[in-house]
Amino acid sequence: MMDLLVSRDYYVATFLLLGIGTYVMIASRNLVKKVIGMNIFQTGIFLFFIAAAYVEGGNPPVLTMDAPHVSPLPHVLILTAIVVGVALTAVALGMVVRIYAEYGTLDEETLQEVRGSE
Amino acid sequence: MNVELPLLAFVLGAALATAVLRDVLGAIIAFATYSLGIAVVWVVLQAPDVGLTEAAVGAGVTTVLFLLTIAKTVRPSGERVIERLDWPALGVSVLLVGVLLTTLGALPEIGSPDTAVLTSEVTTYYLENAYSEVEVKNAVTAVLAAYRGFDTLGEAVVVYSAGVGLLVVLGKEVFA
Repeated sequence: MMDLLVSRDYYVATFLLLGIGTYVMIASRNLVKKVIGMNIFQTGIFLFFIAAAYVEGGNPPVLTMDAPHVSPLPHVLILTAIVVGVALTAVALGMVVRIYAEYGTLDEETLQEVRGSE
Repeated sequence: MNVELPLLAFVLGAALATAVLRDVLGAIIAFATYSLGIAVVWVVLQAPDVGLTEAAVGAGVTTVLFLLTIAKTVRPSGERVIERLDWPALGVSVLLVGVLLTTLGALPEIGSPDTAVLTSEVTTYYLENAYSEVEVKNAVTAVLAAYRGFDTLGEAVVVYSAGVGLLVVLGKEVFA
């Protein structure tokens, strides 16, 4: 059991990060913190991909270095995903700023009350 | 020395701090720490390109975006340092982690050379042919810009639409 956890430690960390991200997204009443939770969730997925590309004793996928190399494809996918994640965060935070300008609060429950009474 | 476990403990600790801190500014700073730790994880996992991007974009740009948002809106204050525990949310996330952990035995060991990713035709093709076909010594660059160039074009489209979306959402008054 312990062996299983240690030999797959990055996967365990991935699962825990997904759990923490989910918790923050559900539990936080503040909209900015929900976006932070989404970012933690994302990096959890990134960790899964990069850990899957890793090979023990491998070099980075730079071809002047000796084999074995780690797999370059997951790295490329995650590079793209990081940039897309920032774009997503930027739009989400833009909406948060707009919501604050419109309703004067970033608290989820106050927001629901304000919208309900309109 | 084995750096993996202390590093993962640091990253998970920073993520937990982000989750429990009530002050949003504190949570943002904890999140920047977390991003930095994750960037080091990428380097340890032999992904220096991803590490660089994460350090510049994750720890840098994202933190600045969060700080700008805080400057434009409110920073909820109160006497409490730690957020009150939300039991239903904790239940959902523990359930999620539990379900995911049941798949752990089916996953290959980290770093084992005969995993599906490392033995796949795609990986070996890129590593063997990237230099002769694209003449770029970094296989990540070769795949990003040549083999999967349309993906990168799609990424540029996403960033462009995000910029347009941001301008539409915020309108003129925020930038004025």
